[in-house]
Amino acid sequence: MSDPKQEFYVGYLPQAPHGLGRFLKAGILMLLLGTVVAAAILSMAQSPYSKAKFEFGVSSILEGRIEELPFPTLMVPREGGGDSRYLLTVFGKKGADEAVAGFAGKRVRVRGTLIYHDQLTMVELGPAAIEVLAPATAEPDASDGTVAGGGAWTQTGAGVERSLIGEIVDSKCYLGVMKPGNLKTHRACATRCISGGVPPVLMVRDEHGLATYFLLTSSSGGSVGRQIVDRGLVAEPVRISGEVVRFGDLLVLKADPETYQRLD
Amino acid sequence: MGHAYQAVGWNRQKKIYDGVLLGAILLYLGGFLGLGFATHPDATFETMLIRALGTGALLLLHVILSIGPLCRLDRRFLPLLYNRRHLGVAMFILALGHGTLSTIQFHAFGDLHPLVSLLVSNTRFDNLAQFPFQPLGFFALIILALMATTSHDFWLSILSAPVWKALHMLVYVAYALIVMHVVLGVLQTETSLWLSGALGAGVLWVFGLHIVAGRREVRVDLTPAGVEANSYVDVCALQDIPEKRAKVVSIDGERVAVFRYDGRVSALSNPCQHQNGPLGEGCIRDGLVTCPWHGYQYRPDSGASPEPFTEKVPTFKVKVEEGRVLVQSNPQPAGTRVEPATFNAEEIDV
Ligand code: HEM
Ligand code: FES
Repeated sequence: MSDPKQEFYVGYLPQAPHGLGRFLKAGILMLLLGTVVAAAILSMAQSPYSKAKFEFGVSSILEGRIEELPFPTLMVPREGGGDSRYLLTVFGKKGADEAVAGFAGKRVRVRGTLIYHDQLTMVELGPAAIEVLAPATAEPDASDGTVAGGGAWTQTGAGVERSLIGEIVDSKCYLGVMKPGNLKTHRACATRCISGGVPPVLMVRDEHGLATYFLLTSSSGGSVGRQIVDRGLVAEPVRISGEVVRFGDLLVLKADPETYQRLD
Repeated sequence: MGHAYQAVGWNRQKKIYDGVLLGAILLYLGGFLGLGFATHPDATFETMLIRALGTGALLLLHVILSIGPLCRLDRRFLPLLYNRRHLGVAMFILALGHGTLSTIQFHAFGDLHPLVSLLVSNTRFDNLAQFPFQPLGFFALIILALMATTSHDFWLSILSAPVWKALHMLVYVAYALIVMHVVLGVLQTETSLWLSGALGAGVLWVFGLHIVAGRREVRVDLTPAGVEANSYVDVCALQDIPEKRAKVVSIDGERVAVFRYDGRVSALSNPCQHQNGPLGEGCIRDGLVTCPWHGYQYRPDSGASPEPFTEKVPTFKVKVEEGRVLVQSNPQPAGTRVEPATFNAEEIDV
């Protein structure tokens, strides 16, 4: 039986026939080589991942004032004056509304994990992460730590009417918790996040590919997450026409969700 | 065989087989993660791992689907077939890892049960480009799970061979679902031609191989049908059958393996009782017909496995006349002893 094609292999015998053994050794080498080549092609051909960052496992401490409407945020004083507005979230596909309940307008210290991308920053709060601070002496004070301004965001300047084309993403994943955090493969996840109360954002890219982000609310500033989910408008091109209002660092697009248009 | 499932045990060949399999899987996952992070430093670990496991499972599925036709085309691939079950289970474990991680990543910690979310979070059934792709992967995973859990011979006897075989033919349904899962999923957002090209090449390979191997089978089956009952059919010349081997012929649509050994000729129904392996592609070892797939054995004259095994295949009456082999068109009940046809050495050269 010298012709390996004629050799007969029986799996329960301890040793394969000699010629066949040589064939198999060559085959195993080819197999391992093919494995490496396949791993190289498939891993290297992936598109670039975004620069977004989720400081997973790193806890930061921030001090500022909680403002909860239309979305829970922390106003952190900037060194040169003014405030940075950080969006707040909690673990999972969930908004931070419950976590900030009772803290609106208060000066607090929070412990959480930073998530940031382009000009937006978010903080994922751990459990019991918010601690009320005594009001700074210079501020008009209330004994429970509430400071002037209350819990609602303060508009910067007048709003303008705009009609924008972009993609609705959930702010948490897109800012860095997941990559990719947009488009079809992420559609189901974004749907769950928005359904769970994570602020929905319209991401609009200009001709240079630079993104601008608009938090979405109803015309009266209320939540639109439910309607976006029910109409299945996540992760594909839509046109939204409404009033763009600036709140410090953040832009909000106010429009009735019934008027959002799907662009197929 | 039928009696003692553990009879085979862990011999040297099995250890080599599993060692190579495990080594290749680790090499793939390590290579994917290593090269992936080296070229994509901004990547997240979860996505990289989900992708390594998903692509690894699909690659392995290509290997699994290639084995059958490759063995038909070149019997030197048969050693791959012997432990095909281990490939299947390994592939399922990779796919399960991918599916579980994806389900956690994309559906857990939300306002719906993850498995409900998996099925309802995308409802764009009206649009192909947006069509939900994750449920396709989920249904494929269920098929793979059924196949992996029933892959042991223990289940073959519980389910009965036809049910078991039908179940395992579902692998082609799973393959189709997974291809669509990838085409309608990640290929809608990943733009590299290497990725779509690799999948296209894989699908063409599997199709092409099955067509080429299938053609050979068809050639066997093309022999004329409609023979009279109990008549003898001239199937081939004696020298068409190598010593201790068989020729597979088709008689009235049924495949028959005609063996020549020690100056005798016997004919058995071709499908092995174990998993339908082609007995006619096996050989005579120690006087017994030995299946090329997992080595089940049958007596050439009676089609019965030697004691203590109980498998039996139908037999056929055979005559040799002037160097031609004649086989009776109707089979004898499985296990019926039939006197082998004998011939003289000179007849081989007629
Ligand atoms: C519960 C079942 C499954 C779920 C939830 C699921 C989910 C996903 C998701 C979300 C992606 C896109 C991930 C990305 O952005 O890269 C994906 C891709 C993929 N899936 Fe699945 N999948 C499942 C089952 C399967 C099965 C059974 C296979 C079989 C081998 C498979 C093979 C792949 C492949 C090859 C890719 C492309 C590579 C990748 O992107 O990960 N999937 N799957
Ligand atoms: S099919 Fe398994 S031994 Fe014949």
